[in-house]
Amino acid sequence: MPVTRVLFPLYQLGNPQMRIFRPNWFLTLVRPGREQPPDTVQFRIPMEMTKFDVKNYLEKIYSVPVGAVRTRIQFGSNKKRNHLNQKVKQPDYKVAYVQLAQGQTFTFPDIFPEKEKTPKEGSMEEMQEKFMEDEKQRQKLDPRRGGVTEWFGL
Amino acid sequence: MAASSSAGRVLTLCNHFKNICRITPAINAQKCTATLSQYQSHLYRVNSPLLTQSLSRPISSVAQCRALHTSISRRGLDEFFDLPENWGESTVKSGSSWTAKQLRAKSNEELHSLWYVLLKERNMLLTLEQEAKRQRLQMPSPERLKKVERSMYRLDTVVTERETALRLLQTGQEKGRPGDWRRNIFGYVYWYRFKEYAIPWFMNTRYKMKRFYTPKFVEPHIRLRIEKHLRIRAKKRTLEKDTRAKLKEKFPQMKVPAS
Repeated sequence: MPVTRVLFPLYQLGNPQMRIFRPNWFLTLVRPGREQPPDTVQFRIPMEMTKFDVKNYLEKIYSVPVGAVRTRIQFGSNKKRNHLNQKVKQPDYKVAYVQLAQGQTFTFPDIFPEKEKTPKEGSMEEMQEKFMEDEKQRQKLDPRRGGVTEWFGL
Repeated sequence: MAASSSAGRVLTLCNHFKNICRITPAINAQKCTATLSQYQSHLYRVNSPLLTQSLSRPISSVAQCRALHTSISRRGLDEFFDLPENWGESTVKSGSSWTAKQLRAKSNEELHSLWYVLLKERNMLLTLEQEAKRQRLQMPSPERLKKVERSMYRLDTVVTERETALRLLQTGQEKGRPGDWRRNIFGYVYWYRFKEYAIPWFMNTRYKMKRFYTPKFVEPHIRLRIEKHLRIRAKKRTLEKDTRAKLKEKFPQMKVPAS
C-alpha cells in the first residue's frame, strides 16, 4: 500500500467529520481458539482500528448488525531464537470479538471439506497415477511362492 | 466533508468533459458498458473480481440497460468466505489484476465501488489464508492475494493522480500538503511540511524553539563535511579505475563495461 498519511485538520466545533473514502484496513475472520458464544465472531484487525471503527466497518461495508465489540492485543511470542541466539519476535496483533445484534448467530464453516479427487481424463495426474500402479504391480512378488523371499529356493 | 464532496463533483464533471472530448466516442461507450456489466458480475460474484476479460465481450444496448440496474449482494458475514462451490478445491481460477491503464478509463464512482469489491475480496483471501495456516493446509491459489494487492495499489495511484491533476488545475499546488525548503542548524536543507497550529507562531513557544537557520560557526563544519564527501567519492572512483586497469592488464581481451 502507498502510505497515505492523512493530515487531519484541527477540529473546531461544528466542523464536519473526516471521512475515509478508501479504507485500507483489512479484517481477518478467524476460527475462535476458545469456544465462544454462538453470537460472537472473532476477527484479527489492524492495530490502529478501534472498537468503533470495527463496528462502523462491519455495519457500513458488510451490512452486518453489530451489538458490541470487545478488543484485546495479542502478544506475539518472542521466545524463538535465531542462529545467532537473538530473540525473534512474532508480530503482535489485535483481536476483536464482535457480538452480533438482532439474535444472529455465526458458526465458522468448514472451508476445507474433504473432496474426492477424480483426476481428469488424459491429464498429467491420471497418467502419473496409472504409471505408479503399474510399477507397484510389477514389483510385487510371485503370489504362487506364498511370500517366500526371492533368493531362497532352487 | 463539504470541500471534498464538491471537489469530487468537480472531478466527475471534468471526467465527463474528458469523455466527451475523446476522439473515439464509440469505443468509449463500448468500454463503459463493458465495465458496467463487469460490475454486475462483481456484485453477483459470478466471476472473481479480478476477471477483466469481459472488455472484449460483444455488447448490445439491452445489456447496457440491464447493467445499470445493480443490487447489493447481502450475504453478510458469508462474504468473508469464498463461494461454497470453491471450498475444498486445490485451485481456484482467477483473472489478471487490474492494470493502471484499465483503471484510468473508469469514472470516480466506479473506482470507489471497485475499491470496496477489492477490499472484500482481500478480506476473504486473508481469512482463507489464516484458516489454511491453522489447519496446516495449502492455501488454494495464493497468487490471488498478490493480484488483489497490486490492483488496490494501482487504484490508489490512479486516484492520487486525479487528485493531483485537479489540485494543479484549481490551486496550482503540486503537493497536497504545503511545505517549504528549510535549513536546519547543521546546514542541511530539507523539505519542511507545514501543519496546522491552534495558535499563531509567535505565541507558540515550542515552534519558536525550532531553529530554521544555520549559525555562522557551523560553516567550517559544513566545509569539512563537503570535503569528506568529495574525498570518499574520489577514493571510490580511483579504486574502480585501478581495478579496471589491473583487470585490463591481466585480461587484455576483456570488454570494458559500459559504466
